[in-house]
Amino acid sequence: MRPDAHIDVREQACPLTWVRTRIALGRLAPGAVLEVLLREGEPLDNVPRTAVEDGHRVVRLEAAPAEGRGSWRVWLERGAPREEATWP
Amino acid sequence: MALSDAEVARYSRQLLLPAMGEEGQERLRGARVRVAGGGAAAAPALQYLAASGVGTIWIDDPEPIEAGDGAGWMFGPADVGRPRAAAAAEAVRDASGLVRADVMRLGVRPTVVLACGASADVSRAVAEEARLLQLPHVVAEVDGEGGAVTVVPVGAPCHACAARPGLGADPTPAGAAVTGALAALELVLLVTGAVQPPVGRRIEIFRGTPLARTTVRQPGCACGAAAAPRAGPGPAAP
Repeated sequence: MRPDAHIDVREQACPLTWVRTRIALGRLAPGAVLEVLLREGEPLDNVPRTAVEDGHRVVRLEAAPAEGRGSWRVWLERGAPREEATWP
Repeated sequence: MALSDAEVARYSRQLLLPAMGEEGQERLRGARVRVAGGGAAAAPALQYLAASGVGTIWIDDPEPIEAGDGAGWMFGPADVGRPRAAAAAEAVRDASGLVRADVMRLGVRPTVVLACGASADVSRAVAEEARLLQLPHVVAEVDGEGGAVTVVPVGAPCHACAARPGLGADPTPAGAAVTGALAALELVLLVTGAVQPPVGRRIEIFRGTPLARTTVRQPGCACGAAAAPRAGPGPAAP
């Protein structure tokens, strides 16, 4: 299996790690898989967790030492679009 | 066109808002907003519109800057006497390198209108013109320490239907700030489509308390005839 898209947010800091991930997920169809390369620590703690909270699914999570020290690879399957906000 | 790296970085926190996302941000960038008025209520509105990522802003105000205008963020003492629209456009350009701001001129085609006129008469006229041109519009009216903001998507009850008499108090800087800022927020919601369906609404702020209601068309108003589906040819007269 290969991911449908790939981004590298190892040079980004919060909140851009999740912003870029969210934008990349938004460009995919539900069910498609995004590969995110990120750093351990805050990005690894927060990006997969926030993705799950936003309705997506973590399908792979592994260290990627070949990509550089502290690098991790996360595959996120895009979930269904969230419900729209309503006019009060 | 996808957002640039600079745009993603600039609007990162806004991009995280529910129902905004990249698509909403692209809609803002594609918007061309005519801001009618360059005074006290327009100052916070322009600041928020520029900060939100509206792509093009045209400012429409024939008056020169007066000494009292220095209370806003856009003008300094040295600007007194300059054309208000040109100075406001310059201030907006200085505030954000990602927005195009200029003086409103003939021939340009806005996609949405924000009325921040100095008087109720000006706001009414701007709103009616926008309705006739079938442009969605937002009207900010400062009233003492508060004010009212009316949102009129295409086909919704017009500003005249929605308006209600307020206190009629002289505008204060606080009233202008809250009304202008709220009007900009409502316009952003309208442009991004962050709220569905886009029905008209009016928010009145009185003694610091906002009251929002969906607007209702007044019987017999011309805006109803314009909004109704076109009828086919009627039966022949006897």
